[in-house]
Amino acid sequence: MTAELAANGKPFVHHHGAHCETAVTSALFRYQGMDISEPMIFGIGSGIFFGHLPFLKMTNLPITAFRAKPGAVFRKAAKRMGVDFVVKTYRDPPKGMDELRQVLKSGQIVGLATNLYWLPYMSERHRWNFSGHNIIVLREIEGGFRVSDPTIGAPVDCTADGLEQARFVPGPLNPRGHMYYIKSIRPNPDLRQACINGMKDSCNAMLRIPLPLFGVRGIRFLARKVVKSPDKLGFQEACRQLAGTVRWVEETGTGGAGFRYMYAAFFHEAAELFGSNELADLSKEMTAIGDNWREFSVTAARIIKQRDKEGETFAKAGGLMLKCADREEAFFRKLQKVARKLKA
Amino acid sequence: MEFEDEIFNDGLSKAYYKHNDNGQYVLEKDAPWAEKVSVALIISSRRALLEEIRKEVLAGRKSPLCYYMEMRQLDPGMLAKAAGIATFRVKRHLRPEVFARLNPSVLDRYTKALRVTLEELKTVPNG
Repeated sequence: MTAELAANGKPFVHHHGAHCETAVTSALFRYQGMDISEPMIFGIGSGIFFGHLPFLKMTNLPITAFRAKPGAVFRKAAKRMGVDFVVKTYRDPPKGMDELRQVLKSGQIVGLATNLYWLPYMSERHRWNFSGHNIIVLREIEGGFRVSDPTIGAPVDCTADGLEQARFVPGPLNPRGHMYYIKSIRPNPDLRQACINGMKDSCNAMLRIPLPLFGVRGIRFLARKVVKSPDKLGFQEACRQLAGTVRWVEETGTGGAGFRYMYAAFFHEAAELFGSNELADLSKEMTAIGDNWREFSVTAARIIKQRDKEGETFAKAGGLMLKCADREEAFFRKLQKVARKLKA
Repeated sequence: MEFEDEIFNDGLSKAYYKHNDNGQYVLEKDAPWAEKVSVALIISSRRALLEEIRKEVLAGRKSPLCYYMEMRQLDPGMLAKAAGIATFRVKRHLRPEVFARLNPSVLDRYTKALRVTLEELKTVPNG
């Protein structure tokens, strides 16, 4: 936690968060004077998801998303909390930068979607072509901007040139200068109704999308693919694909185990808010599912490191994933029933 | 120091939720072992691929464009959209003899898309 000043001299406290978008959203709320934690935003904005997109590739690895699409969490959370917010994209980079400067001068802090590869302060292990990384710009400084990136420990300086490139990457990954900020918040939002809406939405996303690539069906699809992969691709390439999957589970700012721990933390807070034992049980169950995912990634890492070749196989990794899928299906079916009973 | 620890020792640690013994969820900064292993594998394979391409360029089997495309983690389709050039032309330009005959306006588009200077684009780092 580090105290910083925004453009109009209002203090801004930098909190280290697990995931970029939820942490940015919670920081924007906090700046407006409403103390709300990162897991709470994640639950209200229905962040939890699963999608495997084999036809979209990044550096030859398919995309496996454990969260809703970039931008959705902020939009949903802000709508459900009834705040007045602005989301904008631009075609013209100089115009996008000009408007950013103007909004900063008016005393707002601004959330931006940027490309991770082009952010100048990132190190090699973070740098890959992903255009949904969210950061907050606090104020303009000489030759650049003061930036609070919640996935790292402290605010940093970013050159104006680097920020412009990261906001407007030419080509199919272009975030088009996606910029958002909160104008004003409702003083006493209906937190309980927002939580219920978030839970119901998550259940639909995980259970009711009629395609085999999304929700619990998607987990099963990927599990079967993992089991077959060494025969189809050869050991080396199968390892690389598996490493790609593990990176989606553990890295990419998930807060561990593909957002499952963060979601468990949401239920922990929601249980206190509603005073409901059922939600507390669900929180424990989600933590157990998270442990299961963690077990999967450890197994995968042992395969990659070639430790205990008989015990740690692709079939075991796939089996663990199927177990995750079964448990998650049961979890969300139970959540559907519990959410229906909750009173706003 | 092992390669995993080396790349993770960059001072930009992320945060992870952890369920502690008191039933609270707290943030901690230690990256899980599985993450370190898989990220290390991906980065080392990426570096190896880049090095291989660099050698092929020096041997005259690929064009420098191929090297810079890989360096920016793009594929021909993405580079084509970024530079505003048709994909099949980008693929042709990966051949050294075709690349050597490109006119400046096309090279200019590549330098803008890849953010390298014109001198850099014509060669690869040697050594």
